[in-house]
Amino acid sequence: MIEVRGISHGYLAADGVSFFQALKDVSLQIESGTFVSFLGPSGCGKTTLLRIINGLITPTQGEIRIADERVEGPKPDRAMVFQEFNLLPWRTARGNVEFPLEVQGVAKSERDRVVGRVLAQVGLEKFDNFYPHQLSGGMKQRVGLARALGVGPAYLLMDEPFGALDPQIREMMQLELMKLWDSDRKTVVFVTHSVDEAVFLSDRVIMFGTSPGRVVADLTIDLPRPRWTDDEAIKTSPKFIQYRNDIWRLLKRQLSNMPAI
Amino acid sequence: MSDHAAPTPIGRAPIDTAPKPPRSALARWWDRRGFVNCLRWGAIIAFIALWEGSSRAGWLDPLFGSSPSLIVEKLWDMVADGSIWPHVLASANIAALGFGLSVLVGVPMGLAMGRSVAIRSTLEPFTTALNASPQVAFLPLLIIWLGIGVASKVALVFLGSFLIMVINTEAGVAQVDRRLIETARSFMANERQIMLKVILPSAIPYIIAGMRLGVGRTLVMVVVAEIYAATRGLGYLIFQAGGLYDTAQVFVGVVILASAGIALNSFLRWLEKRLAPWQHVQSE
Repeated sequence: MIEVRGISHGYLAADGVSFFQALKDVSLQIESGTFVSFLGPSGCGKTTLLRIINGLITPTQGEIRIADERVEGPKPDRAMVFQEFNLLPWRTARGNVEFPLEVQGVAKSERDRVVGRVLAQVGLEKFDNFYPHQLSGGMKQRVGLARALGVGPAYLLMDEPFGALDPQIREMMQLELMKLWDSDRKTVVFVTHSVDEAVFLSDRVIMFGTSPGRVVADLTIDLPRPRWTDDEAIKTSPKFIQYRNDIWRLLKRQLSNMPAI
Repeated sequence: MSDHAAPTPIGRAPIDTAPKPPRSALARWWDRRGFVNCLRWGAIIAFIALWEGSSRAGWLDPLFGSSPSLIVEKLWDMVADGSIWPHVLASANIAALGFGLSVLVGVPMGLAMGRSVAIRSTLEPFTTALNASPQVAFLPLLIIWLGIGVASKVALVFLGSFLIMVINTEAGVAQVDRRLIETARSFMANERQIMLKVILPSAIPYIIAGMRLGVGRTLVMVVVAEIYAATRGLGYLIFQAGGLYDTAQVFVGVVILASAGIALNSFLRWLEKRLAPWQHVQSE
């Protein structure tokens, strides 16, 4: 379980004077084995909270507890997938997936075994010797996903992972993520801008509002699983449409509160 | 029977759908490389021919201007009797030691300065001052401190080329994508691993660019160092020949130095392509 306890976080703006309150007193709990999305407009602190959960950022106030242990920094039980892929350009797909295992001191033979397995999981076994600049956006993010899966995390933290992809590729990646997720049901925290994406993927959608960043709604998405076998049926079901409309209404209220769009 | 029996759709002009004949391999080579290379080599050949011609026609006094054939002849003689080698070896030795040292010291120093504000702030006044001053002016001091042997010459080469290594490496560190560092941190890389596995590889194109500039500075400094108090070396050869009005021998020294510079530069460019292929894709 991930417990977010009274997290507030702020930082100085680029001018060095004004203070930006990214998150104010956010508390929530994420049950193990659930797929949870953080949804909200830009600047609502959802990505900041994800980085705090990862341990990349130390919050100004509050604490994160994972499996009843306080988060002090990154650990191999959590792995991040980034919006811009963040692959090392001088390493092949294989080399990029190997990177975290290398820095964590995993033996070479074990690394090879793990890398082979996760590259096959994301369907890239034939592209293991390709460099990032030789891969399409979707393939790059598969490498990013394989890299995260390789460390064997209990918690997968995904920061708008499909935000940089074409709409069609994005839908395909959603289906594949659902398929992958059904095989082991890790705890996933998924940050997104997209209402449809959040509803389609999640067990629960947590909505964030701006200035200051805070939780404004917490909805359980009660749609049948698996969702990848017949995604059309899910996306056209009355329940899906109802969830989507409800969330859009909440989101519009948030957007109208913002000083400028 | 006509080959063009297919009816034209009503109201539309006939469209020429015949595939264009593929351009020949020679034509494609010409487009890609041939045109540019012909101009390059043509210009070089024309220049040499003009030089040789003016010398033979008596427009250019060979005593002052020499001529390509005289230079080649001189080079051939010096290679044949072996008198060139001590000079080449002496210069190569100084260049390799001085330049090697500047890479070995400059790269780690640039990495440290790029990564740590404290180290940068401490060292920057000195690097800025040294960079702004004509490093050649230190030669008399270096000779007083290190004598007239190899050491003072190596020191001058080092002084002339290591700052470029520092400055370029530092710039390379500054341009590292912060997101890659964050990614490495999220996968638990420590500071040493971030330095060796993220920052250093990312800075390699900048480091190699620094080395290419450094090679140029190195050759200048070798010649300058050998003008002073030397009995061997290409710089010594050039200045001794100049004093004797042996212009062909001056050019022999210049040609060898220029060839070494071009060869090293090409090698470094090749190395960059090998080590940083993504860089070339982006800049294409």
